[in-house]
Amino acid sequence: MRMLDVRPRSIAPAAAAASNRVRLDAVSKSFTVRGTHTPALQETTLAIEDGAFVSLVGPSGCGKSTVLNLVAGLLTPSSGVLTYDGAPLSGLNRRVGYMTQKDTLLPWRTTEANIAAPLELACRAVPRREVAERVRAMIDAVGLRGFEKHFPAELSGGMRKRVALARTLIYEPETLLMDEPFGALDAQLKLLMHDQLQRLTQARRMTVLFVTHDLAEAIALSDRVLVMSARPGRIRRAQDIGLPRPRDVFRVRFSPEFGRLHEALWEELKDEVAKGTDV
Amino acid sequence: MAEARADATPGGDAHATLLAQAAVAIVLIVAWESAGRAFGHAWTSLPSLIAVRLGEWAASGLARHAAVTLFEITGGLALGASSGIVLGLVLGRTVTLSVVLRPFIVGLYSVPIVTLAPLLILWFGLDMMPKIVLVALSTFFLLFFNTFAGVQAIDRDLVEALRIMGASPREEFARVILPGAVAWIVSGLKIAVPYAFAAAVTGELLAARDGIGSLLAAAAAQFDMTGLYAALVVLMALGTLASALATRAERWLLRWRPAAQ
Repeated sequence: MRMLDVRPRSIAPAAAAASNRVRLDAVSKSFTVRGTHTPALQETTLAIEDGAFVSLVGPSGCGKSTVLNLVAGLLTPSSGVLTYDGAPLSGLNRRVGYMTQKDTLLPWRTTEANIAAPLELACRAVPRREVAERVRAMIDAVGLRGFEKHFPAELSGGMRKRVALARTLIYEPETLLMDEPFGALDAQLKLLMHDQLQRLTQARRMTVLFVTHDLAEAIALSDRVLVMSARPGRIRRAQDIGLPRPRDVFRVRFSPEFGRLHEALWEELKDEVAKGTDV
Repeated sequence: MAEARADATPGGDAHATLLAQAAVAIVLIVAWESAGRAFGHAWTSLPSLIAVRLGEWAASGLARHAAVTLFEITGGLALGASSGIVLGLVLGRTVTLSVVLRPFIVGLYSVPIVTLAPLLILWFGLDMMPKIVLVALSTFFLLFFNTFAGVQAIDRDLVEALRIMGASPREEFARVILPGAVAWIVSGLKIAVPYAFAAAVTGELLAARDGIGSLLAAAAAQFDMTGLYAALVVLMALGTLASALATRAERWLLRWRPAAQ
C-alpha cells in the first residue's frame, strides 16, 4: 500500500494538483481510560489543500493535538474517514514531518547528530558530505551555532525546540504537522522563526497544519485559521486569511487588515478560552 | 567538549579525597598490625606477614593464578553477557515470545547458580571450563533482565518519531532501541562484574589446580591464615580494578546523560 511506501520521498515540491492533501470526513475521536469515556474531538469535517498553511487555534485540551495525531496516523478515528492524498490513511503516515509538542530528540545524540538523523535514513540516502552541509546551514538558520556538540540534556527548553524544528524542516517533508513549535521561544526569536518557516514552506510548497495558542502567530503565517471550541473540540469558525504573500512577518501585524482579522477571531476565541480554563 | 561537563570532580577536591582515603587505609593497617602484635595473630595474621607472602607469591606464579581467574571471568562474561544481551533485545522486541518464555527464565533464575558448581565440575572437569560456564550462567540472567527492561523502557514517542521520518525496522532498532538500551546494559554489566568474580572463585574453591580460588582453598586446608588473607587481598585488588574500569566505560558510554546522581 502506498502509505507503507518507503521509497525516497521527493525533495522537490509534490505534484501541483490543487487537490486536498488532507481530508477529514466527519472524523471524531474519543478515548476510554479505565472505563471512563472521554470525547476529545467531535465530528469534524475539514479539508486542507495541497500547499496550504492552516492553523488550529483554541483553548487547551480542545483536541488540536488530537487532529495532528490523527493526520500523523498515531491515532485512528473513532468514526469518520481521514484521507491523505485521496486515500484513506492506515498506519503511520510517513509522508508528514511531525514536530510534536514534547520534543522527541534522541538524548544520546548531539545537536548536529539529532538534526542529521532523518537524512541518514536509507529511504533518503543523502551523501555524507551533503548531510554535513545541510546540517550546518540548518543550525545557522535556527540560531544554534556553538551548540552543535551539545547533548539535549545540556540545552535549554527553547533550544531543544529549535533542534526539533531543524530536524523536522531539514528533510522537507511534503506536509508539516507542528504542535506549538514556537511556544517556548522569546518574541524576537519567534519572529525570526516565522520568517524562516514561511520562506521554506513557500519555496517548497509544503502543506502545513499548525497548532498554536498564539492567534497573532496563526494569522501572520496562515492561509486559513480554524478556531476550535472547548472540549470536546469542534471547528467553530474557519477564517480565510487574505493577506498577500510573501508576507513580511515583522510588519504584517501592523496592517489594518491584520487588526481586523485579529479582532474578529478573538471574538470567537475568547468565549471558548473562558470555557476551556475550568478544565 | 568533555571539560565543559561537570561529571569530573574538580582536581583539588579529588586530590584531597585521595589523601583522606590513603590516611584511612594506613590507620586500618597500622591498627591491624599493632593489635595483632599485642594480642597474638594466630587467627588474624599481620599486614606485614601478608605483604611478605604476596612478595613470595609474586615471584612464584601469582601472575599465572591471577591470569587464570581473570581469563575465566572475562571468558564467562563475554559468553554470558553477550547471550543475555541478545536474548534481552530479541525478547524485548517480541512480546508474545517473552510472555511464553518468561516462567522458564524466571524458574532457571531462581536456582542459586553457585549450587550448579558440582554439576559443572562433573561435566567439564577441573580446568577453566566449568568456571567459565559458571560465570556465564550467573551473568547471563543479570544482563538478560536488564536488557529486557531497557528495551521495554524505551520511550515509544522516540520510536514513533523515527518511524514517521521513514526509518525501516532495522534502522529503528539500530538508532533508537539499541542506543536506548545501552544505559541498562551498562548498568547490568557493572552489577555483573562482582558476580563474575564470585562465580569464578567459588568454582575454583571447589575444585581447581590454578586460580586465586585454588590458592585460597590450599591455604584454608593448611590453616594458613596469612595465605588466606593474601589471597583475599589479591581478589580485592582485582575486583576494585575491574569495577574502576567498568565505571570508566560507563562514564564514556553514557556521556550524554546529565551529570546528576
